[in-house]
Amino acid sequence: MYQEDIQADSAFGFDGNWKDFAKIALPNLLLTLVTLGIYRFWATTRERQYLWSHTRFVDERLEWTGTGKELFVGFLLVMLLFAIPVFGIQFVAQALILRGYEAAGAALGILPILAIFYLTGVARFRALRYRLSRTRWRGIRGGSDDQGLGYGLSYMWKTFVGYLPLGLAIPWSMTSLWNERISKMSFGPYRFESDADPANVFARFLLFYLSPIIFFIGAIIAGATGALAGYGLGGEEGMQVGIIGITIFLLLFFYIGLGLIAVAFYAKFYREVVGSTHWKDLHFGFEASTMDWVKLLIGDALIVVFTLGLGFVFLSYRHWKFMVTHLEAGGDILLDELTQSTTATARHGEGLLDAFDIGAF
Amino acid sequence: MEDVFHQPAVWYDGESAIRHEGEAHWDGSDTLSLRGFSGSMEVDFADLVYGEERGGELVYRRSSVPDFRLILPEDLPAGLAAKLPAKAIYGAWIDRMGLGKAAVILGAASVAAVALFMTAPEWLGPRVPESWERNLGQAMVGDMGGRLCHTPAGDAALAKLLAKVDPAEEKVRAGVANIGMVNAVALPGGQVMLFDGLVQDAETPEELAGVLGHEVGHVRERHVMTALLRQFGLSILLSGANSGMSETLFGLAAMGYSRDAEREADEFARKRMAESDVSPLGAASFFERIGGDAEEDKGGEANAVIGWVSSHPDPRERAKAYRAAAKGKTFGPVLTEAEFQAIKTMCEEDPDVEEFDFGFF
Repeated sequence: MYQEDIQADSAFGFDGNWKDFAKIALPNLLLTLVTLGIYRFWATTRERQYLWSHTRFVDERLEWTGTGKELFVGFLLVMLLFAIPVFGIQFVAQALILRGYEAAGAALGILPILAIFYLTGVARFRALRYRLSRTRWRGIRGGSDDQGLGYGLSYMWKTFVGYLPLGLAIPWSMTSLWNERISKMSFGPYRFESDADPANVFARFLLFYLSPIIFFIGAIIAGATGALAGYGLGGEEGMQVGIIGITIFLLLFFYIGLGLIAVAFYAKFYREVVGSTHWKDLHFGFEASTMDWVKLLIGDALIVVFTLGLGFVFLSYRHWKFMVTHLEAGGDILLDELTQSTTATARHGEGLLDAFDIGAF
Repeated sequence: MEDVFHQPAVWYDGESAIRHEGEAHWDGSDTLSLRGFSGSMEVDFADLVYGEERGGELVYRRSSVPDFRLILPEDLPAGLAAKLPAKAIYGAWIDRMGLGKAAVILGAASVAAVALFMTAPEWLGPRVPESWERNLGQAMVGDMGGRLCHTPAGDAALAKLLAKVDPAEEKVRAGVANIGMVNAVALPGGQVMLFDGLVQDAETPEELAGVLGHEVGHVRERHVMTALLRQFGLSILLSGANSGMSETLFGLAAMGYSRDAEREADEFARKRMAESDVSPLGAASFFERIGGDAEEDKGGEANAVIGWVSSHPDPRERAKAYRAAAKGKTFGPVLTEAEFQAIKTMCEEDPDVEEFDFGFF
């Protein structure tokens, strides 16, 4: 019987390097430019082939089997089934408004917004499904038999309810949606399961939620103090300097401080949801700390700035490497039992997701 | 006897995750035999498909069993390598052509496509049948929902004015819109609107004739369709769908014609006025007035005037051209004083006219 005990070592590994990746990413950029962006579907595919094939799970590499053509077809389908109807509705709404039926026109204008809300959820689901169904490990793939249409409704009402109690139920809606989405996916013969608990991320969320309020109160006190201190040091002029100093400090806090707290929340969120995810007797873990995330994001910014923007082609590489190196798994896999997935595979790619420009996770 | 190649090989059957390790034997025939402890099998070369290259190994798939994987070392004997399917890098014909050549050809095609797209309004606009434009205009703006001013005397006077500058059998539709701005627009579908603000600003009926003739010129020279196509192209590029009455109307008003188009419309107006014995001096003094306003005045109504003027050629240049057209000629009045007053009071005396509610959205 073949059995892999993978507790000894890290189950995931990545052995790509950015120089090899550049040989893929830079020609991709050139071809994307000269084709007015059309090549980007094939570019994405080539990038993923590289990233997947340099990612090891236990003792075998992953393989990406998606094609550029199916991504392109997915994009065209979205254009045909979504963008053109939306354009038509907008046209009719405008014509109605110009004829004096403002209310009807406005109501019609809301329709595409609702549709986009719904389809965002569907797109997230289908993107994950697509990616799993195009991933091979030892010749085995993943997928889902669910079309994601029900998930789109869940996404709408859970997100809406999450915001209702002044946004305090957002951690619940986020974890609940993760659990719902993951539990409908499978790899080989087994389903994934997830039982992430919003209680575990609520403290971090509260930090993010309350800090602007606390800071606002603090700011008034600090502003008064700063002004007084300035006044004490240099009279009227000093007061102005004090106020300006405090204002700059507040702006810095608002962008950097709040950003940091948001990162802290997301770091905790991903540790919780990935840590609550199982696949048969395998449990996963994601060990990136807030500091790791901060380093990743600062690195991203520096690379893009110092290459005058060209470095953005390396971001997908960095993000993938970040994800794989922090991903852990433990438990047993019975390879004898691990047979091919029987889930249906979508014939076209992640068109919706591509159109809305959102990630699978 | 022929050489028999032995190569270390790893394969997955696509049904289970069990790894088969052994050797690939090739005796020069059309099949490759895979022999290992956990099983043996024969694979036709014709059935093999190139998958990818990964860390010193080549991955092949089978077209009959899509999830079958054969992994061979990269440095194969030349004879065997020639028998296996060729590597693909960028996909299909880009590989055959070479990256440099493909990039140049694709780049040239893209430049041509962009040039075609950019110039399309200029050559396509005049070729769109007028009946299509009328239908399109009908769909877009309809009858403006009762916002045009109507009185029997005013309508008659306007029709008389229109007949002077638009001698064609099928007239454009002209109306006075209940808007206080000093402006006039030509809408898709052969509809010309003078804003009430401009009507109130006019000191002689000849001024109105000049402006009306100019807008009719835009319709007759097919500038509206050209501008509409340009706007449509821009909205595709920016994917910007605007909504609401005011944006639509200002969008149409601000569609903007090229300076050549403005000159053409002016020439059209002067020709028609000369044919109908209407003095171009009214138009000249109108342009002189707004030209002066644009320089001196900064407040209130002047802004609206600047808005109209800014997209047009220098008003003083235009005034000169109109004055030159009047040289050595004498003209009768285009409308009687009573008719002129009927147009001026159209909006005031129309009990049913609706307000343009720009604040709705």
